[in-house]
Amino acid sequence: MVRNYNKFVAEVKNSGERRNKRTSKSKKSIGSKKLLSVSKRLTPIRKKFKIFSIRSGLDMPFFFINMAILVIGLIMLFSASYPNAYYYKHGDSYYFIRSQLIWAVIGVVAMIAISYFDYHHLHKLAVPILGLSFVLLIVVLFMPMVNGVHRWIPLGPIGFQASEITKFAIVLSFAHFISINFKRMGTFRYGVLPYGIILVLTAFLLYLEPHISCLIIVVLLAGGMLYIGGVKLRWFGLVLAVALAAVGYVVLFTDKLGYANGRVQGWLDPFTTNPNVDTWQTKQGLYAIGSGGLWGLGLGQSRQKYLYIPEPQNDFIFSVVCEELGFIGALIILILFAMLIWRGIIISMRAKDKFGALLGIGLTAQVGLQVILNIFVVTNTIPNTGISLPFFSYGGTSLVMLLAQMGIVLSISRTSKIEKT
Amino acid sequence: MARGTTIRMWRRSIFVLAALIIVGFGVIIFRLIKLQLFQGESLQQMALEQQLKDTKINAQRGTIYDRNMKPLAQSATVWTVVLESAYLKDDKVKEKIADGLSQILDEDKNEILEKSKKKSFYTIVKRKVESDVKDKIIEFQKENKITTGIRLVEDYKRYYTYGDFASCVLGFTGTDSQGLAGLESYYNEYLTGQSGRLVTARNAVGTDMPFDYEKMIPAQNGNNLVLCIDEVIQHFLEKGLEEGIINNKVMNRAGAIMMDVNTGEILGMAVKGGFDPNKPFEIADQTVKEQIELLPEEDRAKIKAEALEAQWRNKLVSDTYMPGSVYKQITTAMAFEENLINEKTAFNCTGSFVPFQGARPIKCHKHGGHGLQVFARAFCNSCNPSFIQIGQKIGAERFYKYYQAFGFTEKTGIDLPGEANGIFFSKDGSMGPMDLAVASFGQNFSITPIQMITACAAVANGGHLVQPHIVKQITDNEGNIVKNFDKIEKRQVISEQTSKRICDLLMQNAIDGGAKNGYIAGYRIGGKTGTTQKIGNSGPGGMDYISSFCGIAPADNPRYILLIYYDTPKGPSYYGAAVAAPTFAKIMQDALPYLGVERKYTDEEIAKLDIQVPFLVGSSVDQAKNQAINLQLNPVVYGSGETVISQIPDFSTKMPKGGTIVLYTDKESADKKVIVPKFIGLNLATANREASAAKLNIIIKGSSLSSSSSVCASQSIAEGAEVKPGTVINLVFAQSKTEHKD
Repeated sequence: MVRNYNKFVAEVKNSGERRNKRTSKSKKSIGSKKLLSVSKRLTPIRKKFKIFSIRSGLDMPFFFINMAILVIGLIMLFSASYPNAYYYKHGDSYYFIRSQLIWAVIGVVAMIAISYFDYHHLHKLAVPILGLSFVLLIVVLFMPMVNGVHRWIPLGPIGFQASEITKFAIVLSFAHFISINFKRMGTFRYGVLPYGIILVLTAFLLYLEPHISCLIIVVLLAGGMLYIGGVKLRWFGLVLAVALAAVGYVVLFTDKLGYANGRVQGWLDPFTTNPNVDTWQTKQGLYAIGSGGLWGLGLGQSRQKYLYIPEPQNDFIFSVVCEELGFIGALIILILFAMLIWRGIIISMRAKDKFGALLGIGLTAQVGLQVILNIFVVTNTIPNTGISLPFFSYGGTSLVMLLAQMGIVLSISRTSKIEKT
Repeated sequence: MARGTTIRMWRRSIFVLAALIIVGFGVIIFRLIKLQLFQGESLQQMALEQQLKDTKINAQRGTIYDRNMKPLAQSATVWTVVLESAYLKDDKVKEKIADGLSQILDEDKNEILEKSKKKSFYTIVKRKVESDVKDKIIEFQKENKITTGIRLVEDYKRYYTYGDFASCVLGFTGTDSQGLAGLESYYNEYLTGQSGRLVTARNAVGTDMPFDYEKMIPAQNGNNLVLCIDEVIQHFLEKGLEEGIINNKVMNRAGAIMMDVNTGEILGMAVKGGFDPNKPFEIADQTVKEQIELLPEEDRAKIKAEALEAQWRNKLVSDTYMPGSVYKQITTAMAFEENLINEKTAFNCTGSFVPFQGARPIKCHKHGGHGLQVFARAFCNSCNPSFIQIGQKIGAERFYKYYQAFGFTEKTGIDLPGEANGIFFSKDGSMGPMDLAVASFGQNFSITPIQMITACAAVANGGHLVQPHIVKQITDNEGNIVKNFDKIEKRQVISEQTSKRICDLLMQNAIDGGAKNGYIAGYRIGGKTGTTQKIGNSGPGGMDYISSFCGIAPADNPRYILLIYYDTPKGPSYYGAAVAAPTFAKIMQDALPYLGVERKYTDEEIAKLDIQVPFLVGSSVDQAKNQAINLQLNPVVYGSGETVISQIPDFSTKMPKGGTIVLYTDKESADKKVIVPKFIGLNLATANREASAAKLNIIIKGSSLSSSSSVCASQSIAEGAEVKPGTVINLVFAQSKTEHKD
């Protein structure tokens, strides 16, 4: 036992030294600003998988918080989805959960696999993925409409949303560009213009779908990353002023946005009796949340999921959570999400390079933003727009995508200077 | 480039993190606290409103009992057949169910099939199905192995044990078991109970959730009513009125109230020409029904509604009439109480009376007048001129004071719906001299029969005006008393002394006055008749009248009062004495023994009293003869044997003194028959002669004992029938002609 322990300590020491050497070596290479050469110089991490090792294993708190959220999410998905499955899928109460479980297993496997993958290889993929995102956003416009919007690209038996790729592409490419141009982020040419072009193009394509909720997330994510990346605050001030002016113009001088107007009206008065304003989903969601009270009706006891809330397995799943688990249950889930975000951002901040830091913060912030905006919608804090709740809402590709992204964060955590147990 | 974060980057990251956690999650938690903790209840209420389906569970309506706990109205379980068609998937099963149910329930098959195709969990096929039909449905389900789709929901139906019996008192219920008339309506709140609820969750499409979510609040059954009404007495009333209606060709229904003089308890209240509360929406009167059917379609509904309204109406409480001579006892009470006259005050009747200078003379019903008479006689003669003078002595002011005191200006407060108000000459009680003159003998003002009997009860019971009531107590499901209705005395109107004196007058009136047709030996009946014209309602055969009789028993210590009321008799007579009094006598003759009123006979009555037949079988002929003669019976022996082998009438039969007892001494003689003669129209003496000649016995009922002028009105065995000698025949005697046209 003692010998084994000594050997273990020695190994830890060795690996630390090796790491330090590599780090100092890569320092020199910063000078060369050629994008593609960066990854060449980074030798892949070849280390034994050590659960309890500092600076080599993956971050346990992040991993387990994520797993906890996933498990709770799956349980709640089952609870929320079975009435709908029963009524609309020929009495098959397990219809949604079965598919989601399969995707969750695939997702977790992918997550763990990706956590072994050196995220620096993503430098190479940043531009291609951004390109793919644009292609998909254009392709999707030619796809058949579902519920009045072009969002889904059918891929055999499954379908996925082009915007899932877009969100990742924006985070990845921004992390990539900012990290290689870090010193020049204060300038307009390198710090603002390219990002502005990418963002405006993406936003325009999303607007054409239309996919406003994704647009908001993309803009907020991009803005956050540019802010962290060191863009001067005046640019934010300028963009904010322009955006406010644009919104002000739309609100004050146009009335053609009936769609949006209805939403705003429904948002301000979700219990309106005006038959032209469809507030059914919001109203039913609020009934569910209110019914939960402090302690909730108990797991599985939601009544609002019985065809009152349309598709309770999707965006409005959190209202069922609130109904069944009450304020206390919702609070616990919110704390778990907050811990996940906190941990993810802390890991990323301590990443050994700026690419890792920006990428990790971006991916974690994406989850955080989606959680916040989803619950804002469900609680009628903002007008209704379709944002799913990460790890809870039904959707296989989206879940796999999320878990894979969390895998990247875990990969970052392996080289992050942080206590991981 | 691969260097970690810079200070600025670090700071900005922390800022983003803080923004996400504090602003993002903070706002969320703030919103959740607001929605779940502050608005939770109201939101949940709104949610429940759409989620819950409330099915009513009917409560069993309370039973109505008579005073001896005989049920008069009760609710029995029936069933509502409901289709839960959403559970039915197979068309063959639907077909089978439609086929089966249509046969069992006698409904249209296609209609049921149509219902079974609806995606519903509650479609009523038929309501109020009896238990035997329900059993057939269960049988059918078992036979065809149908487990879901048909549901039998418990409900209740009202049954009235005796059919057309006390219907105007009991009232009836509607389809949802709500009381619509009579006690059912008045005490609806108590009888109804509290319906329970079956709350099931339903989803947004309106079907029940397939998962167990059920909450049941059981129904609370209604309270029971225990009435003061005695079913036996009520039957006597109904029977008496029925006969009276036929005998007197009464056109507009009849009523009778029997009340406990001292407590105001109504022992019976009958309005004949009523309806069967089991079928309240059918016209009970066959002739009216036929007439309506002959009407053109468009008039039919209206006339039918009117006829229904009329048959439901409790005349005794909701209609007013002019009381006529019955009211004279009230006038007398006023005069006695004010010491204006006494029994010996003399009145002269010349046949008509001019109440004041220049007025139209008011005629007495006796042409030529009653001559000079003391008041007691004038009372028995029901002499109008005498009462006009008494009225003048009382004066309008005092008259109205007593009129109010006797309760004629207020409702009696009887526990029945729709009690009417009386109509006096003026609202403030002032009356002209002519008004006073006619009011003294009960004319030209209107009161309800219930007001009349209540006032008469006060006259009889020592002056105490009590509130009449029908319900004695309310009990709950387990028989615990919820509420007791005790005697309510409103006030004392006259003194005990005055009351006593009027009771004596009333008794005198029944013995040899205008009310003698109401007399029954031994029971000290006191009474007063009344005949009044109906205002402005003359029928084709001349004037229409109301004949009434109000009497008490026993008059020396009054316990019961009975009012008989016939509206529009079109028979041989319309006088109260001829129409209402015999009914009174008939009912009292049955009711008083039942009520346990002790008999007391005068010597004269004892002389005519019936005796019990002794047991003579087995005795020697001589012995039997002696025994019979000792009992003042007239023995007739048939056969040649030594001992009596049978006798007619049988042992312990009642028969009048001097009656014939037939003794058989051998078997051959037992076949002997005699023919029943005609008794109707004979007076008592002739009837007796005829009876002994035919070797028959007669028992006399009615007014024969007190009057020399009465004749037989009916006989229990018809003329010409062959009977054994010695058979007892009941004869009812009545006044041959009305001596007093009051």
